[in-house]
Amino acid sequence: MSKPPAALTDAELVAGALGGSEDAYRELVRRFERPIYSLIARMVGDAATAEDLAQEVFVKAFRRLDSYDPERKLSSWLFKIAHNTTIDHLRRGVPETVPLEGDRDDGGADLAAVLFDETSENPAAAAERRDLGRALERAIAGLRPEYRELVVMFYAEGASYQEIVEVTGLPMGTVKTNLHRARKALAEEMTAMGWR
Amino acid sequence: MHPSQHKALDRWLAAERDDRSDEADEALFELFEALPLLEPSAGFADRVLLRTGLPVAVEVPAAGLFAWRWARLALAVCVLAVALSVLWLPQTLKALAGTLSLAGVVDVGVKLLSEASLALVSVLRFGDWLFDLGRMLAMPLATPPVLAVLGGCLLISILAFRFLHELITRERSWTYVDPI
Repeated sequence: MSKPPAALTDAELVAGALGGSEDAYRELVRRFERPIYSLIARMVGDAATAEDLAQEVFVKAFRRLDSYDPERKLSSWLFKIAHNTTIDHLRRGVPETVPLEGDRDDGGADLAAVLFDETSENPAAAAERRDLGRALERAIAGLRPEYRELVVMFYAEGASYQEIVEVTGLPMGTVKTNLHRARKALAEEMTAMGWR
Repeated sequence: MHPSQHKALDRWLAAERDDRSDEADEALFELFEALPLLEPSAGFADRVLLRTGLPVAVEVPAAGLFAWRWARLALAVCVLAVALSVLWLPQTLKALAGTLSLAGVVDVGVKLLSEASLALVSVLRFGDWLFDLGRMLAMPLATPPVLAVLGGCLLISILAFRFLHELITRERSWTYVDPI
Protein backbone atom coordinates (compact mmCIF):
# COMPACT_ATOMS: atom_id res chain seq x y z
CA MET A 1 0.00 0.00 0.00
CA SER A 2 1.59 3.27 -1.07
CA LYS A 3 -0.80 5.71 0.66
CA PRO A 4 -1.07 5.81 4.45
CA PRO A 5 -4.09 3.77 5.66
CA ALA A 6 -5.92 6.87 6.89
CA ALA A 7 -5.90 8.28 3.32
CA LEU A 8 -7.44 5.17 1.76
CA THR A 9 -11.11 4.80 0.85
CA ASP A 10 -13.25 2.22 2.62
CA ALA A 11 -13.17 -0.07 -0.43
CA GLU A 12 -9.36 0.18 -0.63
CA LEU A 13 -9.08 -0.66 3.05
CA VAL A 14 -11.32 -3.68 2.62
CA ALA A 15 -9.19 -4.84 -0.30
CA GLY A 16 -6.06 -4.33 1.79
CA ALA A 17 -7.55 -6.24 4.72
CA LEU A 18 -8.52 -9.11 2.43
CA GLY A 19 -4.90 -9.12 1.29
CA GLY A 20 -3.83 -9.67 4.90
CA SER A 21 -2.74 -6.15 5.82
CA GLU A 22 -2.90 -5.64 9.56
CA ASP A 23 -2.74 -1.86 9.05
CA ALA A 24 -5.90 -2.01 6.92
CA TYR A 25 -7.78 -3.97 9.59
CA ARG A 26 -6.61 -1.54 12.25
CA GLU A 27 -7.68 1.50 10.22
CA LEU A 28 -11.10 -0.03 9.57
CA VAL A 29 -11.62 -0.42 13.31
CA ARG A 30 -10.36 3.08 14.03
CA ARG A 31 -12.63 4.55 11.37
CA PHE A 32 -15.84 2.93 12.58
CA GLU A 33 -15.29 2.10 16.26
CA ARG A 34 -16.89 5.34 17.51
CA PRO A 35 -20.24 5.22 15.63
CA ILE A 36 -20.62 1.46 16.15
CA TYR A 37 -19.80 1.69 19.84
CA SER A 38 -21.94 4.78 20.29
CA LEU A 39 -24.99 3.09 18.75
CA ILE A 40 -24.59 -0.11 20.78
CA ALA A 41 -23.81 1.75 24.02
CA ARG A 42 -27.02 3.74 23.78
CA MET A 43 -28.96 0.59 22.89
CA VAL A 44 -27.73 -1.56 25.77
CA GLY A 45 -26.99 1.20 28.28
CA ASP A 46 -23.83 -0.36 29.63
CA ALA A 47 -20.28 0.57 28.62
CA ALA A 48 -18.65 -2.82 29.25
CA THR A 49 -21.36 -4.75 27.40
CA ALA A 50 -21.27 -2.22 24.58
CA GLU A 51 -17.53 -2.64 24.16
CA ASP A 52 -17.85 -6.40 24.12
CA LEU A 53 -20.64 -6.28 21.52
CA ALA A 54 -18.76 -3.72 19.42
CA GLN A 55 -15.76 -6.05 19.36
CA GLU A 56 -18.07 -8.86 18.31
CA VAL A 57 -19.37 -6.71 15.44
CA PHE A 58 -15.88 -6.17 14.04
CA VAL A 59 -14.91 -9.81 14.51
CA LYS A 60 -18.02 -10.91 12.59
CA ALA A 61 -17.41 -8.31 9.89
CA PHE A 62 -13.77 -9.28 9.41
CA ARG A 63 -14.59 -12.97 9.19
CA ARG A 64 -17.12 -12.26 6.42
CA LEU A 65 -15.28 -9.39 4.79
CA ASP A 66 -15.10 -11.27 1.49
CA SER A 67 -18.91 -11.09 1.25
CA TYR A 68 -18.97 -7.29 1.54
CA ASP A 69 -20.19 -5.59 -1.64
CA PRO A 70 -17.95 -2.53 -2.27
CA GLU A 71 -20.82 -0.88 -4.16
CA ARG A 72 -22.58 -0.35 -0.85
CA LYS A 73 -21.63 1.89 2.05
CA LEU A 74 -19.36 0.10 4.50
CA SER A 75 -20.89 2.02 7.41
CA SER A 76 -24.37 0.69 6.53
CA TRP A 77 -23.03 -2.86 6.34
CA LEU A 78 -21.36 -2.50 9.74
CA PHE A 79 -24.47 -0.88 11.23
CA LYS A 80 -26.50 -3.86 10.04
CA ILE A 81 -24.14 -6.25 11.79
CA ALA A 82 -24.30 -4.03 14.89
CA HIS A 83 -28.12 -4.02 14.66
CA ASN A 84 -28.26 -7.82 14.47
CA THR A 85 -25.67 -8.33 17.20
CA THR A 86 -27.53 -5.98 19.53
CA ILE A 87 -30.85 -7.67 18.79
CA ASP A 88 -29.30 -11.04 19.57
CA HIS A 89 -28.03 -9.64 22.86
CA LEU A 90 -31.40 -8.11 23.79
CA ARG A 91 -33.21 -11.29 22.76
CA ARG A 92 -31.06 -13.33 25.08
CA GLY A 93 -33.05 -11.58 27.79
CA VAL A 94 -30.13 -9.79 29.38
CA PRO A 95 -31.73 -7.08 31.54
CA GLU A 96 -31.09 -3.55 30.41
CA THR A 97 -28.85 -1.66 32.75
CA VAL A 98 -28.59 1.94 33.86
CA PRO A 99 -27.91 4.73 31.38
CA LEU A 100 -24.32 5.61 30.60
CA GLU A 101 -23.91 8.15 33.35
CA GLY A 102 -23.45 8.52 37.06
CA ASP A 103 -20.74 6.99 39.24
CA ARG A 104 -18.46 4.61 37.43
CA ASP A 105 -15.17 3.05 38.36
CA ASP A 106 -14.46 0.97 35.27
CA GLY A 107 -12.53 3.65 33.44
CA GLY A 108 -15.12 3.93 30.68
CA ALA A 109 -16.54 7.12 29.26
CA ASP A 110 -18.89 8.89 31.63
CA LEU A 111 -21.16 10.80 29.31
CA ALA A 112 -22.03 13.43 31.84
CA ALA A 113 -18.35 14.05 32.58
CA VAL A 114 -17.36 14.45 28.95
CA LEU A 115 -20.47 16.23 27.81
CA PHE A 116 -19.00 19.69 27.85
CA ASP A 117 -15.71 21.28 28.64
CA GLU A 118 -16.27 22.76 32.06
CA THR A 119 -13.07 24.73 32.20
CA SER A 120 -14.39 27.56 30.07
CA GLU A 121 -17.50 28.46 32.03
CA ASN A 122 -18.72 29.02 35.53
CA PRO A 123 -19.59 25.98 37.69
CA ALA A 124 -23.34 26.68 37.73
CA ALA A 125 -23.57 26.79 33.93
CA ALA A 126 -21.39 23.69 33.64
CA ALA A 127 -23.62 21.80 36.07
CA GLU A 128 -26.72 22.80 34.12
CA ARG A 129 -25.18 21.67 30.85
CA ARG A 130 -24.22 18.38 32.44
CA ASP A 131 -27.77 17.99 33.68
CA LEU A 132 -29.14 18.56 30.19
CA GLY A 133 -26.82 15.89 28.78
CA ARG A 134 -27.84 13.48 31.51
CA ALA A 135 -31.51 14.21 30.98
CA LEU A 136 -31.27 13.64 27.23
CA GLU A 137 -29.37 10.37 27.73
CA ARG A 138 -31.94 9.26 30.30
CA ALA A 139 -34.78 10.16 27.96
CA ILE A 140 -33.13 8.17 25.14
CA ALA A 141 -32.61 5.22 27.49
CA GLY A 142 -36.30 5.38 28.42
CA LEU A 143 -37.44 4.91 24.81
CA ARG A 144 -38.52 1.54 23.44
CA PRO A 145 -35.41 -0.20 22.05
CA GLU A 146 -36.63 -0.02 18.43
CA TYR A 147 -37.29 3.73 18.80
CA ARG A 148 -33.98 4.23 20.60
CA GLU A 149 -32.04 2.72 17.72
CA LEU A 150 -33.73 4.98 15.18
CA VAL A 151 -33.16 8.11 17.27
CA VAL A 152 -29.48 7.35 17.79
CA MET A 153 -28.91 6.49 14.13
CA PHE A 154 -30.80 9.47 12.77
CA TYR A 155 -29.99 12.28 15.18
CA ALA A 156 -26.67 11.20 16.71
CA GLU A 157 -25.06 9.35 13.79
CA GLY A 158 -26.65 11.37 11.00
CA ALA A 159 -27.85 8.32 9.06
CA SER A 160 -30.34 8.99 6.26
CA TYR A 161 -33.84 7.46 6.14
CA GLN A 162 -32.65 5.14 3.37
CA GLU A 163 -29.69 3.93 5.41
CA ILE A 164 -31.96 3.25 8.39
CA VAL A 165 -34.30 1.30 6.12
CA GLU A 166 -31.35 -0.82 4.94
CA VAL A 167 -30.03 -1.39 8.44
CA THR A 168 -33.28 -2.17 10.23
CA GLY A 169 -35.17 -3.81 7.37
CA LEU A 170 -38.23 -1.70 8.20
CA PRO A 171 -40.32 -0.05 5.46
CA MET A 172 -39.63 3.64 4.83
CA GLY A 173 -43.07 4.65 6.15
CA THR A 174 -42.50 2.77 9.40
CA VAL A 175 -39.09 4.37 9.87
CA LYS A 176 -40.54 7.87 9.45
CA THR A 177 -43.53 7.17 11.69
CA ASN A 178 -41.40 5.58 14.40
CA LEU A 179 -38.91 8.45 14.29
CA HIS A 180 -41.76 10.94 14.66
CA ARG A 181 -43.22 9.01 17.60
CA ALA A 182 -39.80 8.58 19.18
CA ARG A 183 -39.13 12.32 18.98
CA LYS A 184 -42.52 13.03 20.58
CA ALA A 185 -41.83 10.51 23.35
CA LEU A 186 -38.41 12.04 23.89
CA ALA A 187 -39.93 15.52 24.23
CA GLU A 188 -42.58 14.26 26.66
CA GLU A 189 -39.88 12.61 28.76
CA MET A 190 -37.77 15.79 28.80
CA THR A 191 -40.80 17.86 29.77
CA ALA A 192 -41.70 15.37 32.50
CA MET A 193 -38.16 15.74 33.85
CA GLY A 194 -38.72 19.48 34.20
CA TRP A 195 -37.09 20.76 30.99
CA ARG A 196 -39.48 23.16 29.37
CA MET B 1 -25.87 26.44 30.11
CA HIS B 2 -24.61 27.40 26.70
CA PRO B 3 -27.19 29.85 25.29
CA SER B 4 -27.43 28.10 21.89
CA GLN B 5 -28.18 24.73 23.54
CA HIS B 6 -30.81 26.22 25.75
CA LYS B 7 -32.31 27.90 22.70
CA ALA B 8 -32.27 24.64 20.77
CA LEU B 9 -33.99 22.85 23.64
CA ASP B 10 -36.64 25.57 23.92
CA ARG B 11 -37.21 25.59 20.15
CA TRP B 12 -37.49 21.82 20.05
CA LEU B 13 -39.99 21.54 22.89
CA ALA B 14 -42.01 24.50 21.59
CA ALA B 15 -42.08 23.00 18.08
CA GLU B 16 -43.24 19.66 19.50
CA ARG B 17 -46.06 21.38 21.37
CA ASP B 18 -47.17 23.18 18.20
CA ASP B 19 -46.70 20.11 15.97
CA ARG B 20 -44.10 21.82 13.78
CA SER B 21 -42.25 18.66 12.82
CA ASP B 22 -39.52 20.15 10.60
CA GLU B 23 -38.53 22.75 13.17
CA ALA B 24 -38.54 20.13 15.91
CA ASP B 25 -36.22 17.96 13.82
CA GLU B 26 -33.86 20.83 13.15
CA ALA B 27 -33.68 21.85 16.82
CA LEU B 28 -33.17 18.27 17.97
CA PHE B 29 -30.31 17.82 15.49
CA GLU B 30 -28.73 20.93 16.98
CA LEU B 31 -29.13 19.56 20.48
CA PHE B 32 -27.62 16.21 19.53
CA GLU B 33 -24.66 17.98 17.95
CA ALA B 34 -23.77 19.25 21.41
CA LEU B 35 -23.68 15.71 22.77
CA PRO B 36 -20.20 14.27 22.38
CA LEU B 37 -20.25 10.85 20.73
CA LEU B 38 -19.36 7.97 22.96
CA GLU B 39 -16.07 6.20 22.34
CA PRO B 40 -14.72 2.84 23.46
CA SER B 41 -11.76 2.82 25.83
CA ALA B 42 -8.21 3.19 24.50
CA GLY B 43 -6.67 0.21 22.72
CA PHE B 44 -10.00 -0.96 21.30
CA ALA B 45 -8.52 -1.71 17.86
CA ASP B 46 -5.77 -3.85 19.41
CA ARG B 47 -8.31 -5.84 21.39
CA VAL B 48 -10.44 -6.38 18.27
CA LEU B 49 -7.47 -7.63 16.26
CA LEU B 50 -6.42 -9.90 19.10
CA ARG B 51 -9.94 -11.33 19.34
CA THR B 52 -10.27 -11.69 15.59
CA GLY B 53 -7.23 -13.95 15.43
CA LEU B 54 -6.97 -13.30 11.72
CA PRO B 55 -3.75 -14.26 9.98
CA VAL B 56 -2.15 -10.91 9.39
CA ALA B 57 0.96 -10.39 7.33
CA VAL B 58 4.04 -10.61 9.54
CA GLU B 59 7.37 -9.63 8.06
CA VAL B 60 10.03 -12.26 8.69
CA PRO B 61 13.63 -11.42 7.80
CA ALA B 62 14.53 -13.62 4.84
CA ALA B 63 18.01 -14.56 6.07
CA GLY B 64 16.85 -15.23 9.63
CA LEU B 65 17.43 -19.00 9.69
CA PHE B 66 20.79 -19.07 8.00
CA ALA B 67 22.04 -16.14 10.02
CA TRP B 68 22.18 -18.54 12.96
CA ARG B 69 25.67 -20.09 13.27
CA TRP B 70 24.52 -23.48 14.59
CA ALA B 71 22.01 -23.84 11.74
CA ARG B 72 24.78 -23.24 9.21
CA LEU B 73 26.98 -25.85 10.94
CA ALA B 74 24.12 -28.43 10.99
CA LEU B 75 23.52 -27.83 7.31
CA ALA B 76 27.21 -28.40 6.50
CA VAL B 77 27.22 -31.67 8.48
CA CYS B 78 24.11 -32.87 6.64
CA VAL B 79 25.65 -32.12 3.24
CA LEU B 80 28.83 -34.00 4.24
CA ALA B 81 26.83 -37.02 5.43
CA VAL B 82 24.89 -37.16 2.17
CA ALA B 83 28.14 -36.96 0.17
CA LEU B 84 29.71 -39.83 2.14
CA SER B 85 26.60 -42.01 1.88
CA VAL B 86 26.80 -41.83 -1.91
CA LEU B 87 29.93 -44.03 -1.67
CA TRP B 88 27.86 -46.94 -0.28
CA LEU B 89 24.88 -46.41 -2.54
CA PRO B 90 25.76 -48.94 -5.32
CA GLN B 91 26.44 -51.78 -2.80
CA THR B 92 23.16 -51.09 -0.97
CA LEU B 93 21.13 -51.11 -4.18
CA LYS B 94 22.71 -54.43 -5.28
CA ALA B 95 21.90 -56.08 -1.92
CA LEU B 96 18.28 -54.91 -2.14
CA ALA B 97 17.88 -56.23 -5.68
CA GLY B 98 19.08 -59.68 -4.49
CA THR B 99 16.32 -60.03 -1.92
CA LEU B 100 13.52 -59.41 -4.45
CA SER B 101 12.46 -61.98 -7.10
CA LEU B 102 9.58 -62.07 -9.61
CA ALA B 103 7.94 -65.04 -7.85
CA GLY B 104 8.05 -63.18 -4.54
CA VAL B 105 6.40 -60.09 -6.03
CA VAL B 106 3.61 -62.20 -7.65
CA ASP B 107 3.05 -64.05 -4.38
CA VAL B 108 2.64 -60.78 -2.44
CA GLY B 109 0.23 -59.46 -5.11
CA VAL B 110 -1.97 -62.58 -4.97
CA LYS B 111 -2.09 -62.47 -1.17
CA LEU B 112 -3.12 -58.80 -1.19
CA LEU B 113 -5.84 -59.48 -3.77
CA SER B 114 -7.33 -62.38 -1.80
CA GLU B 115 -7.36 -60.34 1.45
CA ALA B 116 -9.10 -57.45 -0.31
CA SER B 117 -11.74 -59.83 -1.67
CA LEU B 118 -12.39 -61.25 1.82
CA ALA B 119 -12.81 -57.72 3.22
CA LEU B 120 -15.28 -56.88 0.44
CA VAL B 121 -17.33 -59.99 1.22
CA SER B 122 -17.51 -58.99 4.91
CA VAL B 123 -18.73 -55.49 3.98
CA LEU B 124 -21.39 -56.89 1.67
CA ARG B 125 -22.60 -59.32 4.38
CA PHE B 126 -22.90 -56.47 6.86
CA GLY B 127 -24.90 -54.43 4.30
CA ASP B 128 -27.21 -57.38 3.72
CA TRP B 129 -27.78 -57.73 7.46
CA LEU B 130 -28.56 -54.00 7.75
CA PHE B 131 -31.06 -54.25 4.90
CA ASP B 132 -32.85 -57.17 6.62
CA LEU B 133 -32.96 -55.24 9.89
CA GLY B 134 -34.47 -52.19 8.16
CA ARG B 135 -37.15 -54.31 6.46
CA MET B 136 -37.98 -55.98 9.78
CA LEU B 137 -38.44 -52.61 11.50
CA ALA B 138 -40.42 -51.09 8.63
CA MET B 139 -43.04 -53.84 8.55
CA PRO B 140 -44.80 -52.98 11.85
CA LEU B 141 -44.52 -49.24 11.08
CA ALA B 142 -46.44 -49.72 7.84
CA THR B 143 -49.57 -50.96 9.63
CA PRO B 144 -52.50 -48.48 9.65
CA PRO B 145 -52.70 -47.92 13.46
CA VAL B 146 -48.98 -47.13 13.75
CA LEU B 147 -49.17 -44.88 10.71
CA ALA B 148 -52.11 -43.04 12.30
CA VAL B 149 -50.15 -42.53 15.54
CA LEU B 150 -47.13 -41.26 13.60
CA GLY B 151 -49.33 -38.87 11.61
CA GLY B 152 -50.87 -37.58 14.85
CA CYS B 153 -47.43 -36.97 16.36
CA LEU B 154 -46.34 -35.09 13.25
CA LEU B 155 -49.46 -32.91 13.35
CA ILE B 156 -48.95 -32.10 17.05
CA SER B 157 -45.31 -31.21 16.36
CA ILE B 158 -46.27 -28.86 13.53
CA LEU B 159 -48.91 -27.16 15.68
CA ALA B 160 -46.50 -26.80 18.60
CA PHE B 161 -43.82 -25.35 16.34
CA ARG B 162 -46.28 -22.89 14.83
CA PHE B 163 -47.46 -21.82 18.31
CA LEU B 164 -43.88 -21.28 19.51
CA HIS B 165 -43.01 -19.30 16.41
CA GLU B 166 -45.99 -17.00 16.90
CA LEU B 167 -45.16 -16.59 20.56
CA ILE B 168 -41.62 -15.52 19.78
CA THR B 169 -42.49 -13.16 16.95
CA ARG B 170 -45.30 -11.55 18.92
CA GLU B 171 -42.98 -10.97 21.86
CA ARG B 172 -40.32 -9.22 19.82
CA SER B 173 -41.17 -6.92 17.00
CA TRP B 174 -37.53 -6.64 15.90
CA THR B 175 -36.53 -7.27 12.35
CA TYR B 176 -33.36 -9.26 11.83
CA VAL B 177 -31.52 -8.16 8.73
CA ASP B 178 -28.93 -10.41 7.18
CA PRO B 179 -26.17 -8.06 6.09
CA ILE B 180 -24.06 -10.75 4.50
